[in-house]
Amino acid sequence: MNIVETHGLTKRYGGAEAVSGLNMEVSEGRIYGFLGPNGAGKSTTLKMLLTLVRPTAGEIDIFGKRLGPRTRTEILRDTGSLIESPSCYGHLTGRENLEILRTMLDLPKSNIDEVLKTVRLDKQQKKKVSAYSLGMKQRLGLAEALISFPKLLILDEPTNGLDPAGIQEMRELIRSLPGRYGMTVIVSSHILSEMDRLADDVGIIAGGRMVYQGPLDRLHRAEKDKDLEEIFLELTGGEASL
Amino acid sequence: MIRLLKCEFLKTRRRYIFLSLLAVTAIGLFWTLNGRVSEDMRRLGWMIYLYQLPVTNSIVMPLLAMIAASRQWDLEHRSGMLRRLIPASGRGKLYDVKLLTGLGAVLVCCLINWAVIVIYGHAKGFYGPFPLRLYMLHLLSTLLPTAAVYLLQSLLSMAFKNQAAAFAVGIAGTFAGMFSMFLPQLPWLRRFLIWGGYGALNLVGMYGYTKETRWRDVWFEVSGPDPYAVIFLLCAGLTIYFFGKRLFCLKEV
Repeated sequence: MNIVETHGLTKRYGGAEAVSGLNMEVSEGRIYGFLGPNGAGKSTTLKMLLTLVRPTAGEIDIFGKRLGPRTRTEILRDTGSLIESPSCYGHLTGRENLEILRTMLDLPKSNIDEVLKTVRLDKQQKKKVSAYSLGMKQRLGLAEALISFPKLLILDEPTNGLDPAGIQEMRELIRSLPGRYGMTVIVSSHILSEMDRLADDVGIIAGGRMVYQGPLDRLHRAEKDKDLEEIFLELTGGEASL
Repeated sequence: MIRLLKCEFLKTRRRYIFLSLLAVTAIGLFWTLNGRVSEDMRRLGWMIYLYQLPVTNSIVMPLLAMIAASRQWDLEHRSGMLRRLIPASGRGKLYDVKLLTGLGAVLVCCLINWAVIVIYGHAKGFYGPFPLRLYMLHLLSTLLPTAAVYLLQSLLSMAFKNQAAAFAVGIAGTFAGMFSMFLPQLPWLRRFLIWGGYGALNLVGMYGYTKETRWRDVWFEVSGPDPYAVIFLLCAGLTIYFFGKRLFCLKEV
């Protein structure tokens, strides 16, 4: 079953098309790696899934329901997200930031302790976020996304700003989510080696268009002697910057 | 809605927004009430304040509105939390709750300002019975333009990340509103400028004041608020509210 489907999803800014007729299919319980060069339309697509950006054309189905004004609250209640840089109030502690989302979503208090343990911030929870390192902020952003243990998790460049150990830790954490909580994860990144180790399925977007979508192993089987980076560069034209 | 209201209070923890509004109110009150209370002041005090308060209110109240709106929205712009809050709650409700808390705080300060002046008048022994009806009308005449100014400041602070834009409009509007009171030949300026509402809704006119006789022959006439200004402020407030909400609902984050 597809948890997310988009049909001809398009976003235009003035005359320029950031996303063009995108048909995305994300299967339940899988990790979907969303790849593309800078400015390919990854963040815009993910923002459209979260109603942060309004599509110019096209439709979005999440959990089998059409995303619209009447269904958006119900659908997005079961969706967690970390978009671009981590969002948090610097003058509050990590725990207080989570408390705001917990109150808003009417969740049990135990969720805060559980997500803090999951992202290993439980010992730093009483520190103000302004004193956090970038890696800690990123982990708090992930804790915010996980707080309701949603069915769908959307992560936009979650390893940005992390050191190699942090990247590995984040990868293992994301990798464990479908098995541990039954989540479906959409994760965008431009670190191809990471995606190679993390994703079950990939969608490759270039110039706002989907150029490949399907299981990662099928892509590897079709291009046996090439690594993901070479395949990616071939599919995206090779000129786009990463 | 109650949960969202609770979240608004949680967010402002350690930001001391209400405390800063109280500080501005205190400075405004000090400015208004500072000075010796003469015999003339005791004799005419209730009416003198009704006549003079719109001038101080035209500066203090827009300042309160500007600070409240700016600090509320700056919090969201700096944190980037709208990206998390919008999917979790919904745009319309989020906007309403923000306005409700900000407007509530500003209006409480208006009320404190009013109450302190009434208590001060009684404590200083102003002559004659306390004109309750006029003072209640004066309170409404302060709340209405303040609410309209807050709604506009909130819209600007939401629309522009850089709060300098909202401050520039606020300061320019405040000056225009204040000076409109000294330009009786331009009644439309008071009537159709939301910051001019404090002057347009002034309830009393003062006559007989001269340099020589000063307060001796002064008398006041109750004129009542300008009905066109009331209608304008109500319409402007509602228009700004609906426009701001629509803008927020369409805003790409």
